[in-house]
Amino acid sequence: MGTTFCWLGRRSHILCWRQKDVAKAWRLISWRREWRHPRKMLLNQLEAVAAIPARYDDNVDLRGGRADAQSWMNFRAFPWFGMDIGGTLVKLVYFEPKDITAEEEQEEVENLKSIRKYLTSNTAYGKTGIRDVHLELKNLTMCGRKGNLHFIRFPSCAMHRFIQMGSEKNFSSLHTTLCATGGGAFKFEEDFRMIADLQLHKLDELDCLIQGLLYVDSVGFNGKPECYYFENPTNPELCQKKPYCLDNPYPMLLVNMGSGVSILAVYSKDNYKRVTGTSLGGGTFLGLCCLLTGCETFEEALEMAAKGDSTNVDKLVKDIYGGDYERFGLQGSAVASSFGNMMSKEKRDSISKEDLARATLVTITNNIGSIARMCALNENIDRVVFVGNFLRINMVSMKLLAYAMDFWSKGQLKALFLEHEGYFGAVGALLELFKMTDDQ
Amino acid sequence: MGTGRLGAPMEHHGRAAATSDSSAREPAPRGPDGRRREPLRRRASSASAPAVGASALADSVRRERPGSYSGATSVSRQRVESLRKKRPLFPWFGLDIGGTLVKLVYFEPKDITAEEEEEEVESLKSIRKYLTSNVAYGSTGIRDVHLELKDLTLCGRKALNGVFRKADVRVLAAPATCPQIGDLQLCKLDELDCLVKGILYIDSVGFNGRSQCYYFENPADSEKCQKLPFDLKNPYPLLLVNIGSGVSILAVYSKDNYKRVTGTSLGGGTFFGLCCLLTGCTTFEEALEMASRGDSTKVDKLVRDIYGGDYERFGLPGWAVASSFGNMMSKEKREAVSKEDLARATLITITNNIGSIARMCALNENINQVIFVGNFLRINTIAMRLLAYALDYWSKGQLKALFSEHEGYFGAVGALLELLKIP
Repeated sequence: MGTTFCWLGRRSHILCWRQKDVAKAWRLISWRREWRHPRKMLLNQLEAVAAIPARYDDNVDLRGGRADAQSWMNFRAFPWFGMDIGGTLVKLVYFEPKDITAEEEQEEVENLKSIRKYLTSNTAYGKTGIRDVHLELKNLTMCGRKGNLHFIRFPSCAMHRFIQMGSEKNFSSLHTTLCATGGGAFKFEEDFRMIADLQLHKLDELDCLIQGLLYVDSVGFNGKPECYYFENPTNPELCQKKPYCLDNPYPMLLVNMGSGVSILAVYSKDNYKRVTGTSLGGGTFLGLCCLLTGCETFEEALEMAAKGDSTNVDKLVKDIYGGDYERFGLQGSAVASSFGNMMSKEKRDSISKEDLARATLVTITNNIGSIARMCALNENIDRVVFVGNFLRINMVSMKLLAYAMDFWSKGQLKALFLEHEGYFGAVGALLELFKMTDDQ
Repeated sequence: MGTGRLGAPMEHHGRAAATSDSSAREPAPRGPDGRRREPLRRRASSASAPAVGASALADSVRRERPGSYSGATSVSRQRVESLRKKRPLFPWFGLDIGGTLVKLVYFEPKDITAEEEEEEVESLKSIRKYLTSNVAYGSTGIRDVHLELKDLTLCGRKALNGVFRKADVRVLAAPATCPQIGDLQLCKLDELDCLVKGILYIDSVGFNGRSQCYYFENPADSEKCQKLPFDLKNPYPLLLVNIGSGVSILAVYSKDNYKRVTGTSLGGGTFFGLCCLLTGCTTFEEALEMASRGDSTKVDKLVRDIYGGDYERFGLPGWAVASSFGNMMSKEKREAVSKEDLARATLITITNNIGSIARMCALNENINQVIFVGNFLRINTIAMRLLAYALDYWSKGQLKALFSEHEGYFGAVGALLELLKIP
C-alpha cells in the first residue's frame, strides 16, 4: 500500500517488515539497553515483542530502495549529532525529531528531553555558540524519522567547556554514539573519554565533507537550490546570484577553505583524491587581520575589508610597467606584488586599517583562486566548488573567486558555491551514524 | 653639438639595452641595418655630465658623442672598427628595472689599447672610472663585488664584467624631470626573454672558474647542510622560478622555447612589505636578520595543533603548517609572540607558498629540475634551504631545487646580451 519496506538480514532469509511497524517495535525496545545488541538476538526479540509476522519476499531490489532502508536495523538512539571539530570552529548538526509519539515522549529520558529543548529554543549558547537558524533544514526525513536539521557552531577554543558540559549533563548515560570528524576528533578523543565518558566515533574529514555535500545538495534547501554561482561577478550592478543544478556533479574540484585549505578532485561518490592544499587560508586572513588592524573577530575583519581599498597597499602591474604587461596578458590592474607598496614608509603612512584588511582578504582569496585554477587545469575539471567557513558572510571573496576563475580561464572554469558552506563535514559525520552497525 | 647627424648609424653610441622599463618613451624607428635610430634632437648638456649620476644612471641610454659630429672625416678609427664588426660603442650596459630594485650590469673593457684610450671621450672615461673605483654610489647604489665575472670575452672584447645593483627605485620614479638625463631612450626588451637568455649565458661562462649553479644537501640539518655545485649541462627542460617583487614561473624547453606557466603576487615584495608592517623594520637585511632569530611555530597553526599529531590519512606530518598565522586570531597568543617570530613566520609563509606552487607546476609540466632565481633569495639562506627541503620532501625526492650565484641579475645580463646581439 505504498509503504516502503526495509530489509533485515537473517542468515539466508530476507525478511520484509513494514517500516512503520519496525519503527514502533524499535522504539519500544531501544530504551531497554539489553535488547539492543547483537543483531541476531534482536531479530528474535523483535518478532517476539512486536509480534509482527515476517514476510518472505525476494523481489524487492535492495539497492533501489531508500539509502537508509538498511539502517533500520541499525537504529541509533537519540540524540543524533554530527560534529566537525576544526582548527578554528566546531560545527555541530543536530537532528530534532518532530514525529515523536506520545508514547515515546513518555518514555523519553529526562536529559534527552532537556537537550532537545535547550538546543531548539535558543539561538545562542553560552558566550560563543550560535545556531544558524537561516540554514535550518525543515521536514527532513532521516533514517525513517521526520524532523528538522539544525546547524550550530562555536569556536574550537571553547571545546573544553563543551566537553565539561557533556560531563555535567551526563550525556554518556544516553548511550548515544557521537560521530565526530575534523582534526579535533583525534585531538580531543582522550578528553571526551576521560572527562565525559564519551567514546567518539572518529571519521575522516574529507570523506565526511563529500558525503555531506552530496546529501545536502540532494535534499535541497527547503525547496530552494543549495548550489549557486554568480553571473557578472565584476559588475556590482549586474552581479546576480543564480541557482546551479548539481545533479551531475562529477568530476568536480572541491576547494575546502577553513583555517587551511584542502583541494580535492571528486570523480564519483566514493572516488576522490586530495590534490593539494595550502596553509594560506581563512586562519591566515583572520590572524593577519588581527595583527595588522587590531580587530578581534572574523565579522569585524570582514567589515573593515568591505570598506578598504587594497590597490594602495598592493603593487600592481601598472606600478611596475606603467600599464599592461601585454606580452603575457597581464593587465595593469592585476596585482604584481601583494603588499608590495608597504616597503615604502610614505605609503605605509598613507593607508588605513581598512585598506590593510582589504589587501589581506584579496591576497588570500586570489592565492587560493590561483592555486584552484591550476589544479582544475591539471585535473581537467571545469567546475570548482568552494566551501568552508572562510566564505561565511564573505561576499567579497566569493565574487572575487567567481571573477578570477572566469577571467583567468577565459570563461572555461565555473566557480560554484553552496549555502551550507562550512557544515558539510558535520552532516557527513551524522550520516555515518546511520551506517554504523551494532558491532561497531 | 651634433649637427650632421642625419642618417649616419655611426652616430649612435654607447647604447644600453634595458628591460622592464617603467618610464619608456617611444623607441626610435629602426634603420636599414636594424639599429635603432634616434630622431633629430638637440642634446642638452650631456657632454660634461658624467653618464653615471647617483641614480640617474638607470635611464642613461643613448647618448650623443659630443662635439665630434661635423662629418665623416672626424670619425675615430675605434668607432669605425667597432662598427665594422657591428659592435655597439661603449659603454656597454644592461639594465633591469624591476618593481623594487634596478639591476645594472656594466662591461668594463680591460683590453683598451693606448690608441683607444687616447681617443676615448672624457665622459666615457669618467663613467668607467666612477663605476670601477667605487663600490657604493650615492646613498643607495651598491656594487656586488663578489659577483664580478673576470676575464670575460664579450663580442670580441675582453673585460672585467662588473655587476651592479641599485636600490631604491623611488629615485627613478620621475626620470623625465631629472636634468642630467636629458633626452634618453631605452631599448625595451621583455624581462622574461632576458632572464632566460641571461641565465643560460651566465651558466655557460661559469663563475670565474667555479660553478654558477648549486644545490643544498641535507638542507634541514644546520650542521650537515652543504652547498654543492650542480652542473647544468642538460638544462632542458627546466622550471625557472623568478622570485622578485612578484613571482613568475617559466618552463624552459630549449634556448628559444619557453612559456610562462603561471605566477603569484605573493613574492619578495610581500615578504618585505608585511615585515615592515608587522615588525617596523625598514630594510630587507633587517627583515631577514629578525627572521633568523624567530620561531614561526608560535605564530602558525600546525597540523598537530588541530589533530593532536599527524594527519596520517593524507600523509601530513604534525609539524606541517595547516594554517599560516593561524594562531594569531587568539589574543593570548598574539601577546606571546615577538617581532622576530612574526618576521620568521612571514618568511616561512611566503617561501612555502612559492615552493608549493612551484612543485605543482613541476609536476604538471613533468619537469624535475627547478631553479630559483631573483633577489628575494639574496643573502636569504633560510628561504633557499626551506625551498630545497620542501621540494625534496613533498615530491619524495623527485624534484631538485637549484640556485644560482647571480640570483637577480640575469635579466640585466640578458639585456646586455641583446645589446651585443649575442644569441
